[in-house]
Amino acid sequence: MTAATDLRGFAVRPYSPWGIVRELAIVAAGLLLLSLVIKLHWMTNFMIFFILVLSFDLLYGFMGHLSFGHMLYFGAGAYGTALWLVYGGKSPLIALAVGMLAAALLAAGLGRIVMRTHGAPFALINMAFNEIGHFMIQSPLSGVTQGEDGLSCSADNIFGIINLYKDGWAFGFAAVMLLAVFALLRVLTASPYGILVRSIKENEQRVKFLGYNTFRYKWVTFVIASTVAALSGGMFTLVQGFISPRVISPFGNVDIIFAVLIGGAGTLYGALIGGTVFMLIKNFLPVLIPELATLLNMKLPQWEMWLGIVLLVIVFSVRKGIVGAVLAKWRQRPCGSTT
Amino acid sequence: MIDIRHLEVAYGHARVIHDLNLTLSPGEMVFIVGRNGAGKTTLLKTIAGLLKPTQGEIVFEGRPVAGEPPDKLARSGFRFVAQDKKVFSSLSVRSNIELAAHGAGEPVEVAWKKAVEIYPKLAEFRALPAGRLSGGQREILLIGRALVGNPRLLLIDEPTEGLAAIVIEEIFRILKGMRQTVSAIIVEQNLSIVKRLADRIYVMKEGRIIREINDQSGITDSARLENYL
Repeated sequence: MTAATDLRGFAVRPYSPWGIVRELAIVAAGLLLLSLVIKLHWMTNFMIFFILVLSFDLLYGFMGHLSFGHMLYFGAGAYGTALWLVYGGKSPLIALAVGMLAAALLAAGLGRIVMRTHGAPFALINMAFNEIGHFMIQSPLSGVTQGEDGLSCSADNIFGIINLYKDGWAFGFAAVMLLAVFALLRVLTASPYGILVRSIKENEQRVKFLGYNTFRYKWVTFVIASTVAALSGGMFTLVQGFISPRVISPFGNVDIIFAVLIGGAGTLYGALIGGTVFMLIKNFLPVLIPELATLLNMKLPQWEMWLGIVLLVIVFSVRKGIVGAVLAKWRQRPCGSTT
Repeated sequence: MIDIRHLEVAYGHARVIHDLNLTLSPGEMVFIVGRNGAGKTTLLKTIAGLLKPTQGEIVFEGRPVAGEPPDKLARSGFRFVAQDKKVFSSLSVRSNIELAAHGAGEPVEVAWKKAVEIYPKLAEFRALPAGRLSGGQREILLIGRALVGNPRLLLIDEPTEGLAAIVIEEIFRILKGMRQTVSAIIVEQNLSIVKRLADRIYVMKEGRIIREINDQSGITDSARLENYL
């Protein structure tokens, strides 16, 4: 067996501090390249979305639990942060921590229920909780959340310098947070814990035969994924200065699922690439379609329909996602080949 | 070691194991033979905690364990190697052993060394995704994984089914090396393996044990054993 085959075959890549630094440099370079063609304030939104997709990938891609209710935790983070800024204090980092803590506690509680299920019941129970959360924000809690009107909030500068309402600072802040989340998940998924989570996805029963209480690991993973989703929700609040019940709407789950499917579930790079492709399609189609209609002098269907068609084509043509397809090609190369 | 008394198991309303009694002493290797549908796999699954008996007792080292979850039984030293030869296919061979080592609280290097000792070729396949191993190699990996930690009771379901003769001999060699060191209940249809390894044989038919063979002449009597398959 050649060394090349060994490396190609290694399913869970080990990590080293330098390896992580190298990977972070690659991700950072990718972000900088994107920022050359995309405006900074858009890039900030892109990166917030990337963090959300990464969190979902941990739950679905790595552990195999497809949730239709992940936006609940994004929304909990967003509202937790906003409510602290409105009723608590103006420190953005404390507000972010409050948002994450609120979502973590919510996930810890609901996780005791939802992690006892899997497959369709898991997806649907999560959606039900998401819908309940959406309703609570809109109606019963409207006294504090302002319901449909939304909530405006403002935060002080971080360390007295970093003004998140300026595009450059917001971009830098989002980039640092994204790189930190990427590094955290990279270490986590390559660790023995990560190996266990992947194994649960493959065959939970067999993992139990090895003496593991799988429920405990699934619950911890659910809480981690939800807390990371809350981080992106809190960042959204800090950067936008305004939130409405849309941030907790179950419809948002479709975006995350598509992004993961496009990029390839179970790979962190897949989440980033899928997130990029999805955001590019979602942000540029509304501009391109009307221009095309004008150019052709004909009426074209709304951009949402084209978005659906494009996404279906991508998902069906690369079933394992972009990264999955590339990896499959790479593994099919003859042994010993170095190109 | 393990004492099964008046065990009854059902799938819904269909009873598949009836009033079954079985004992296993420490270090003993017991084989279960019988035709398809006799309830052999159901029995192993019940002992492993995958199925709950409707009646009866399973007593392991003086403690009733019937109906305990598989993870708890695994922590008590039970190891189940299922018939389907399913490994964690996306994980490397080494990661498969690592996973078992963490679960059993054994240092990874110790576990890996033990696995390589029983099948040196594993060292060669160390980084290969386990899904790319042949059926025989997977079975050996599964047995190697089952030996990680401090197994007290091995439950192995048809380890040689569908394997080439040369691999069967390899598995025979591994099972032979385990004799006297670990107790095992093995479901097997390959009589050449059964005859050479069994301390005792239970014959199952239609969910019942119809015969216990514990004399050496009976164990090696191929013609008689053939009648039960």
